[in-house]
Amino acid sequence: MLRLTDLRKSFGSINAVDGVSLEVRRGEVFGLLGPNGAGKSTTISMAVGLIAADSGTVDLDNQGPPTSHRVRRHVGVATQALAIYEQLTGFENLRFFGRLYGLSGPMLRDRVERVLDLVGLLPRAKDVASTYSGGMKRRLNLAAALIHDPPLLLLDEPTAGVDPQSRNNILDTVRELAKQGRTIIYTTHYMEEAQRLCDRVGIIDKGRLLCVGTIDELVRTHGGKSLVRVARGELEDAIETDDPLHTIESAIARGRETPHATHPITGIRIDRPDLESVFLALTGRRLRD
Amino acid sequence: MSIFQSISAAVAIAATDLKLLMRDKLDAFFTFVFPLIFAIFFGWVFGGAGGGETGKIELGIVQLDKSASASAFADDLAKLDGFHVTRFDDVATAQDKVRKGELVACVVIPEDFNAKFEDLFATGTGPTVRGYVDPSRRGETGLLEGRLTELAFKGMTRSFSNTDSMKKQLAKARASIDQSQETDPTRKFVFNTFLTGIEGLLADNARRAAQQPTQEGAASGGLGTGMDNFRPVQIELEQLQRQRSGPTNSYEVSLPQGIVWGLMGCVTAFVGTLAVDRQRGTLVRLMCSPLSTRAIIAGKSLAGFASCMAVQWLLIGVFALVFAVRVPEPLMLLLATTCASLGFVGLMMFLAVIGRASDGSGGMGRAVVLVLAMIGGGTIPVFIMPKIMQTISGISPFSWAVRAVEGATWRSMSLSEMMLPCGVLLAIGAVGFALGAMMFRRNASAH
Repeated sequence: MLRLTDLRKSFGSINAVDGVSLEVRRGEVFGLLGPNGAGKSTTISMAVGLIAADSGTVDLDNQGPPTSHRVRRHVGVATQALAIYEQLTGFENLRFFGRLYGLSGPMLRDRVERVLDLVGLLPRAKDVASTYSGGMKRRLNLAAALIHDPPLLLLDEPTAGVDPQSRNNILDTVRELAKQGRTIIYTTHYMEEAQRLCDRVGIIDKGRLLCVGTIDELVRTHGGKSLVRVARGELEDAIETDDPLHTIESAIARGRETPHATHPITGIRIDRPDLESVFLALTGRRLRD
Repeated sequence: MSIFQSISAAVAIAATDLKLLMRDKLDAFFTFVFPLIFAIFFGWVFGGAGGGETGKIELGIVQLDKSASASAFADDLAKLDGFHVTRFDDVATAQDKVRKGELVACVVIPEDFNAKFEDLFATGTGPTVRGYVDPSRRGETGLLEGRLTELAFKGMTRSFSNTDSMKKQLAKARASIDQSQETDPTRKFVFNTFLTGIEGLLADNARRAAQQPTQEGAASGGLGTGMDNFRPVQIELEQLQRQRSGPTNSYEVSLPQGIVWGLMGCVTAFVGTLAVDRQRGTLVRLMCSPLSTRAIIAGKSLAGFASCMAVQWLLIGVFALVFAVRVPEPLMLLLATTCASLGFVGLMMFLAVIGRASDGSGGMGRAVVLVLAMIGGGTIPVFIMPKIMQTISGISPFSWAVRAVEGATWRSMSLSEMMLPCGVLLAIGAVGFALGAMMFRRNASAH
């Protein structure tokens, strides 16, 4: 569906995107993860033609460059910033954005109502957006990306700064959109969101795409070993292992062999590697401010 | 995207921008209401802070005959309700004032006023009072003509009520009949008998007046009234070609000032709108749509143009209807306001794009526009500025807008004279628009 080939973009001496190649398949939810300043938003901006790449190509279903009108009709973008007019109502916002895509009349009205319903804002459609909560504004921002019914959606941190209820609604909406067969590129800082939603994930840092794969593949490849934590009263042993069950059995057996052990086992916990482990393993633990 | 869809989208952008402007109460106030208040206030101040006599019709009197009857006629004129009368010694000065629009009319009481009046019975023709009027003040002129006729009758009544004056007129008439070669003796006899009868009537009235001194009309003898179908004074009104070298109404001065502030409100509001679009990300959403940058620019410009036209015609409408500001040539004013709007759309586009950051372009735009408005006639009308400031004001597009609007109102410029301010405004618009659009596109592609 979307193929990025060796995309490069630099701002002065900073290589914001450094040779990113990536293919997003039709109908999948693709997570693009990375720390702040990793190059996620720049990559997405190049993918939709908002930023001209220094080199490399973007191809959407062989329909031409991302700046062409035909391609833009196929793409919906929910930017990280709340790209809505606060002085307009939810309905007026969507009607305006719909008109930019050539929608009009009853079709536009119907589309606006359906999208408002999808994001749970239909009851507040006639209220001015400035009276919405942060979560409602995020949902309206998502709705604006959906107004022209695009097959490809680029969602740039769509849950940033929202309450759990709104986040849940947005994640449900994205899942529903995925079920409808849309292709979604989803950037986020929240690993659990990526784990819940994404079929495949790419991790980007310092402008380079570090890995791409399903979550299981990435965990297997980059997640490291499981950690068995054996608690003995106040003390805790942390044992890295590929076989947590065998490690636990061994720990218990060693306890039997030493009946006078001063510190009997009081608890055992297994920390399996997850996407966060993969993320930290690949991007490091250094703060990115 | 088809041309129709692009136009429709551009109109949608313009409509949304105007809606946003109207919903931002502060912007709407400073764009539409403040200029109105400002212009009304300064019009009031320039007009004498409400203490002047701007409601009266300015009339000049030139009294060339210093006789008692001419003076009485002039005094009656000076006492007319609704007129503010100024006396002049010579006709040329008074005519000049009419041409300049400082007087609605001037009335000349001729040197032979009294002589002609005394010959009224002998010649059958009274004096001719000539009036010189401003052709654009038809209503006031009609009123003046009516009042002059009324005064002429009043003067004649006064004259007929005066026995001595009447006796003089009858004696002149009798002498004229006696000397006439063309009148046959029979007719001469009839006329003399008639005149003797009138003299008898005058003597009888004088006697009654002595007995009833308080009765009006008979106080000094005379014939009394009853002359309704008789015109003792000929009134001739002549139109003078107006030379508009100055405004005739203080609101004609403050209207262009109000327009300056209105245009300033539009510029700052729309520079701010584009800045907010950029800051909030709505511009990114516009750029992500299938619209060309040309259509986006067209939409933004259309909104700016519509607001500039709206504020100018709101002010013109209010000032024409409420403060009697004349719009002698509406098409010329349409040309002036259209050129001003196009000029300021270009300025808006340029200012909106040169500052990429929201606060930067908004703040800088306001500062630049404020300075340009101040030197362009926003606070002090350009034509009363010192010469050096008038020259400096040429760098401000506001001063050219003021010149265009003044040219189409009280300066009554011809089309060829209007070409300069209108041409400058169009040039400012074209350059600003071209630079702004070029930078907007460059920013968009380099984004």
